[in-house]
Amino acid sequence: MKKIFAIAWKDAVVRFGSASEWLFFLILPIIFIFLFAGGVPSGDEDNRIRLVVVAQANTPISQEIISELEKSTSVRPELLSLEEAQEQFNSRRASLLLIIPPSLDLRSIQNRTAQLDFRQPPNDMDASIAERAVQTAIRRVSSSINAANLAVEEAKARGTFESAEEEQVYFNQALELAKSLQAESPERVTTIQGNTPDDFEYDPQANVSAGQLITWVFIPLFGISALFAYERQQGTLRRILTTPTSKATFLLGTISGQVAMAVVQMILLVLFAVLAFRLNWGNPIAVFLMLTCSALAAAAIGTTMGTFIKSEGQATGLSIMAGMLMSMLGGCWYPLELFPAVMQNIARILPTTWAMQGLLDLLLRGAGVVDILPEAGILLGFAVLFFSVGVWRFRFE
Amino acid sequence: MKKLFLIGIKDLKLRFRDRAALIFMLLTPFILTLGMGLVTGRFSGGDSSGISDIPIAIVNLDNDSLGDALVDAFNSEDLADLVETTLSEDPEAARLLVDEDEVAAAIIIPAGFTQSVIPQNENALPNEEIRIEFYANPSRPTSAGIIKAIVDGFMARLDEMRLASMTSVSQLIMSGRISPEDANQVGQEMGARLQQNDAGNTNEATAITLNTSTSAGEDVEFDVLSYFAPGMALMFLMYTVSYGGSSILAEKSQGTLPRLLVSPTNSMQVLGGKIFGIFLTGAAQMLILIGASSLFFQLKWGDAFGIVLLVLAAVFGATGWGMLITALARTPAQVGSVGSAVMLIFAMLGGSFTQIENMPAIVQTLGKITPNAWAMDGFTTLALGGTLTSLARPILALLTMGILLFLISAVLFGKKNLVQK
Repeated sequence: MKKIFAIAWKDAVVRFGSASEWLFFLILPIIFIFLFAGGVPSGDEDNRIRLVVVAQANTPISQEIISELEKSTSVRPELLSLEEAQEQFNSRRASLLLIIPPSLDLRSIQNRTAQLDFRQPPNDMDASIAERAVQTAIRRVSSSINAANLAVEEAKARGTFESAEEEQVYFNQALELAKSLQAESPERVTTIQGNTPDDFEYDPQANVSAGQLITWVFIPLFGISALFAYERQQGTLRRILTTPTSKATFLLGTISGQVAMAVVQMILLVLFAVLAFRLNWGNPIAVFLMLTCSALAAAAIGTTMGTFIKSEGQATGLSIMAGMLMSMLGGCWYPLELFPAVMQNIARILPTTWAMQGLLDLLLRGAGVVDILPEAGILLGFAVLFFSVGVWRFRFE
Repeated sequence: MKKLFLIGIKDLKLRFRDRAALIFMLLTPFILTLGMGLVTGRFSGGDSSGISDIPIAIVNLDNDSLGDALVDAFNSEDLADLVETTLSEDPEAARLLVDEDEVAAAIIIPAGFTQSVIPQNENALPNEEIRIEFYANPSRPTSAGIIKAIVDGFMARLDEMRLASMTSVSQLIMSGRISPEDANQVGQEMGARLQQNDAGNTNEATAITLNTSTSAGEDVEFDVLSYFAPGMALMFLMYTVSYGGSSILAEKSQGTLPRLLVSPTNSMQVLGGKIFGIFLTGAAQMLILIGASSLFFQLKWGDAFGIVLLVLAAVFGATGWGMLITALARTPAQVGSVGSAVMLIFAMLGGSFTQIENMPAIVQTLGKITPNAWAMDGFTTLALGGTLTSLARPILALLTMGILLFLISAVLFGKKNLVQK
């Protein structure tokens, strides 16, 4: 027991011998949790097609068009200056551009000279959807003026006006009438939201805290492989052979030390989430169980990796790569529910998926010890499997 | 100049012989890009290819002119690529399709809808409210929103015609041009005429003309990997430049750097050669990753000349950061750990993990100090079909960043007497 503790303590001293270790142990995970919590897509974003609008006309008609566009269920207008809009359109950062020229007013519509410019990329489905939305908006805004124009034409078809003034008076009366009729127009469509099951639970702060916690703990635990490779390269493992230390004692000391450090790191990150976001992690025993099982699974994979990889440099690179990839595919960076169905199934073979699911059960679904036993059990299964392979293949030289 | 070039090539060769470095420089960004492709559905025909074939169900219980016109509109050539319509006769069955997430929306046109809008007999109330039911799928808000917008467009046209007929007829009566007894007949004639004019003509009837112009260039469909592939490559470019920087300090501590100065090579040539080697390695890394993703993922990066220029500018900016980290650090290990931290922070601020537009405003502003953000801007522009002229801003920003950082680093290197004998 003393030997195990001595080996674990030695590893902790070596690891924290450099102050920069704190960067990866605590500082960067906290920065990432903080930044990611504000920037990960939740699925609730405004996904309407972006339409850049340049409103050069400061007229009520122009404002009505913009207001109608804002009500649209298919486009999201964004007002920009002409220079900025053109710059974005030319550099392809904006694909759809609507320009409302300064000349747009009631008179121009009455004279049928009113024009808007709509710029779009070729053969683009979004452009065709946006064009429809713009047509609908200008139709709604101009329909009363259009009705008054048509009323004048109908009147002319049945006899001329005596003067231009008389025609204008007729137009004005028709416009008033059309506006009042439009105001009284009944709703023609009722929208009802269906009962499609939507069990996608998401809380950016909870998901990000759990996801980043797993990412930043799995990577160093996979790094046990680099630890073994380093000691093997330096010959210190061989040197242990000269001491009365068994393979089991050495492995137990190294792995338990890394797991203990990982659990401490996770507890600190859990506390950060509690303090920063007021997250409720639920039952502390269940949290501790999930954290320990996750750390054991990751440490076991790191141990197995350490028996295959020869140099420290390669082990470090592969640990980081495997940690990042497993975190990404396990839903630690982006919600698993947003993945294609086939990927959601494939992700079940990864320990990160189960660790994430267990932590989200605690954070979002108020789970207790019994509820997270399946996830904890699967993680322990990973641990048993990979520790067995690791211990079986482990060599001092 | 030749010496500088030789030192650079030597470092480039060394880097590409180092298996551990290759894992970071090439394998990791490639594998992570592959992972991004998998989770976004890029390889399984998921949601990255734009909106098309939105499934909807229509129940036409009206079986009159307006109900039929709405069904025809959804079955028109115009919407053939956008919508996939299923006709049903049972409203409950259509709603069930939505509830089971089979369609994005169900449109139920009730019996008597046409009659409620255009009364055919004098007993009917003109504004009797018989409404179309739009039963939306809440788990497909974007698709349902688009379908709703099409229905709204149809209704707006309908209301415009109704408004025009009613206004004209009322005014004709008030001005004494027709008698009230003729109103019904004149209204019906006008309605029929407007409907005929409108048939198959969705755009021209508005009082405001919409001039549509199409930008030059090819039809470009944005590929989600066009965002994540450069994101990952740029993240690990920062590793390459800091790793290169650490090699300068390593050579100093191992004594190989002063040994070089014993040869007829001055300190500027040695340092310039080392920096040139880092620049070459970064450029090679980026171009290999771009080539590999083009080859294996059929990713279209855009204008080739623009890509090369942007890569060179991005590597220049990133190398500037690598030099600054090296100049500030004391040991190779410090460069390694600070470099890794900077790599991850820049990747986050520069939009490698998530689109920078989704981040808080302060993060977007902070992101401007990273080569990642500017290069991402350029790569996205090129992937969307942008040309060389549209790259002026990101390239200028990257070059300015590089020059500034090199100047600061040169001052710091001078103070440290890095390459003194």
